[in-house]
Amino acid sequence: MQAESQSPSSVKKVVVHLRATGDAPILKQAKFKIPGTDKFAKVIDFLRRQLHRETLFVYVNSAFSPNPDELVIDLYNVSCRIFINFSYYIVFFIMAMDKCLLYWVI
Amino acid sequence: MEEAQKYVWEGAIPLQIHLHESEVTTLPTPPSALILAPRIGYLPLLVPQIKPHFSNALPPGSPDTVWFDYNGLPLKWYIPTGVLFDLLCAEPERPWNLTVHFRGYPSNILVPCEGEDSVKWSFINSLKEAAYIINGNCKNVMNMSQPDQVELWRSVLNGNLEAYVRISSKLRLGTVGDEYTDGGGQGQVKTGRVPVRLYVWSVSEDFDDLEDAPQIDSWDKISYINRPVEIHGEEGNYFTLQDAVKSILPEYFPNKSSTNEESSRDEDENEQTVPSEEGEKYLSENVESCYPTHNVEIKLVRIQGIEPKMEIPFSWVVKNLTNPEHYLHICVCLKVPQVL
Repeated sequence: MQAESQSPSSVKKVVVHLRATGDAPILKQAKFKIPGTDKFAKVIDFLRRQLHRETLFVYVNSAFSPNPDELVIDLYNVSCRIFINFSYYIVFFIMAMDKCLLYWVI
Repeated sequence: MEEAQKYVWEGAIPLQIHLHESEVTTLPTPPSALILAPRIGYLPLLVPQIKPHFSNALPPGSPDTVWFDYNGLPLKWYIPTGVLFDLLCAEPERPWNLTVHFRGYPSNILVPCEGEDSVKWSFINSLKEAAYIINGNCKNVMNMSQPDQVELWRSVLNGNLEAYVRISSKLRLGTVGDEYTDGGGQGQVKTGRVPVRLYVWSVSEDFDDLEDAPQIDSWDKISYINRPVEIHGEEGNYFTLQDAVKSILPEYFPNKSSTNEESSRDEDENEQTVPSEEGEKYLSENVESCYPTHNVEIKLVRIQGIEPKMEIPFSWVVKNLTNPEHYLHICVCLKVPQVL
């Protein structure tokens, strides 16, 4: 788990790690940085662009699928970490993911 | 079953629904539809009742997703109808005049919706998110049997509180002072974390009468905040609604009690967890610098159509006024002297 120290810059950014689930391909860029004030919709858009798919199922921490208007920072505060699972199909039983823990604060 | 909860479940808003003029193809214009919309329901669930009313007046061709607006503002379908009303109608208007559209879905503003299935999906996910906040995982919701899931959703659709209580009690999502939490769930820690969705509407000008309140004409004017409230049960003092609202808005009300002990939620992984205090402290510091924190005044707090006194115990509010997906939706109007 890499934790970067807080930078003096004033915008809090959250690093989100992406993890393909089911038959979705693994992305070259498996993590990205996003301002906490952005909406979750930005994450979904990013994935859509990367995968060239209109329909995607996106989960936070293998648990729930937040609505796109929720702020990334709120998701971070709820779960103390953000990792995003994405899939082409609905995943009914997502197993607890182990290896990649996904986020940290800059 | 609490009496207040019963009132919430029976609560409904009279709607008068007009067909948007651009979609009228008949003369005379079809009359508006009058319909009672349950507070805990969602607008797309009304479509099966509304559609037949206007079907003769619609232009030919396959219709788009149905959507609604209020004074030109497209209404977000995943927000419970009662919350939309409390938020957008500062001075309650009855019947509430909405416009229905059968085409031209504003997908830049609204999340796509495919009728009841989308609403159900959104509901279940909110429930899972709430469970995650309360228990640190969603196991109870995930492990629900299929018939229970169907019945839970049906109880919400039909406003059947008894059926709802019977099934939702199995989820053990009670928070502080709740009868569902004891027994059974071994190792389940009572965290006292309450899932809250806060809709903050800031005004810079004062107004005396709600009728004079400025109209909300864009969703950009609403901050949609999802932060759990940690109930601090200090001796002698109970945790009030006011404490709760202020604790969610540290950027406006910075003198909060600073420590929330890092509740160890049950982790499936054994990786180290980043202490959340770091993040919280950082957040409040940041935002403080952007907003003047003095003179911020809570003008209005509305939950389930009522404006409760700020001194009432927050646990009462949670127990009685929470929506069926276990979120407490609070509409807040703040008077912020000047937003920089």
